[in-house]
Amino acid sequence: MSALIWLHEDALRAAHPVFAEPHERAVFIWDDAYMAAMDYGLKRRVFLYESLLELPVEIYAGDTIETLEALARAAQASCLISPHTPNPRLNHIMEALSETLRVQRIADDAFVDLPPQEGLRRFFKYWNKAKKLAFTRDGGA
Amino acid sequence: MEVQPKTFADRDALIAHVRALSPSLSPEETFVSDTKGGRDAGQALLQNIDPIAYGRSRDYLGGAVSYLSPYIRHGLITLNEARNLALERGPEDGDAKPIEKFIQELAWRDFWQRVYQQNPDWIWHDIEDYKTGFTAEDYADTLPDDIRQAQTDCAAINYFITSLQTTGYLHNHARMYLAAYIVHWRRVKWQAGARFFLAHLLDGDPASNNLSFQWVASTFSNKPYFFNLENLQKYAHPQAPCDAASNQPLSGSYEALAEKLFPYGEPA
Ligand SMILES: Cc1cc2nc3c(=O)[nH]c(=O)nc-3n(C[C@H](O)[C@H](O)[C@H](O)COP(=O)(O)OP(=O)(O)OC[C@H]3O[C@@H](n4cnc5c(N)ncnc54)[C@H](O)[C@@H]3O)c2cc1C
Repeated sequence: MSALIWLHEDALRAAHPVFAEPHERAVFIWDDAYMAAMDYGLKRRVFLYESLLELPVEIYAGDTIETLEALARAAQASCLISPHTPNPRLNHIMEALSETLRVQRIADDAFVDLPPQEGLRRFFKYWNKAKKLAFTRDGGA
Repeated sequence: MEVQPKTFADRDALIAHVRALSPSLSPEETFVSDTKGGRDAGQALLQNIDPIAYGRSRDYLGGAVSYLSPYIRHGLITLNEARNLALERGPEDGDAKPIEKFIQELAWRDFWQRVYQQNPDWIWHDIEDYKTGFTAEDYADTLPDDIRQAQTDCAAINYFITSLQTTGYLHNHARMYLAAYIVHWRRVKWQAGARFFLAHLLDGDPASNNLSFQWVASTFSNKPYFFNLENLQKYAHPQAPCDAASNQPLSGSYEALAEKLFPYGEPA
């Protein structure tokens, strides 16, 4: 079973844990419509492209879902591995792809090893719990 | 499907390629930041952090801030790495107090990301009502042209707008000043300000940016954030032009400004 890594804009680092997963190929999709929807101007786009140059990914341009589906078909991949993100646009793409592929989300190194808190609203509710871990190497992980 | 190139003769060639791949960009957009993408540039900034000096000076425009935000925003550098290095650079006796501010600011990012994860729909919607004496309908939907063109009646604000547009970066305090000016002085919806920031900031982040805007606006805090000329002069001089004559609308006591900005309002 072959796996394809889809790297997105929230995780542009070769040391991201996603790359530790067994995979055949890793790709980044340059999606103009997505970037327009995110309000990204020229400055940001240049920063992103420059950041991609050194990463172990192939860059393709096009609609993200269509391009990933075509790449997965060509590579006979049945699994898509991607960095975890809170971004609903990216999560929506992963949900759409999960109809044809097994989608696996890989979290980055955490700042603090603290489970999600229900109904989080004000910073100090979080900080009271997080503070000790925040001053611990690797956030207590 | 064609694989896109990863080597270019020079930066101009890369920029031309990015443009060719970006038909949605307006041809009027010409600025590119001097800040370069890539892990090496981020690492160099990371190695420069001075968390103790940061604690003493971060509120000043000339303070010892890290400039790491675009690298953290896009995952080139992690909060974990920045924190671990800050711990190593703390006082030798292990006292965490002098590095607390730096670590707490990293935590603000973690906090906003957690809020975003739980409530993705909060990013563009008022989380609470405005606590300014106005309702959302009293605020304009779009950003006035004089703001977009850095031609407002406040020289410091124009300076911040131009910096944002040319460098893709603003100091935290400058973001607070500019956001407050847009929302409270000009009575523009925070969403319009947030969109303007996202289009220019290299670190523009739906959570950190939009939730901070909501904090300034008071739709995600107990009262609106605003400032006066005296505060600006303390923190933004000499980087921004802060003289009274060219920043008239900002001058006055907090009480007088509150009366002007929030005539029906609640702020204490
Ligand atoms: C209206 C407004 C909009 C903002 N928009 C963004 C944004 O789009 N993206 C963004 O990353 N930050 C945003 N911030 C937060 C903060 O202003 C920037 O993170 C900071 O100024 C970046 O500069 P620096 O890297 O030199 O930060 P430093 O002060 O050196 O801090 C180190 C790192 O900690 C994090 N950080 C510091 N302060 C904050 C904060 N208050 N909230 C969240 N994270 C913080 C950043 O990742 C930053 O790189 C915004 C703040 C305001 C008031």
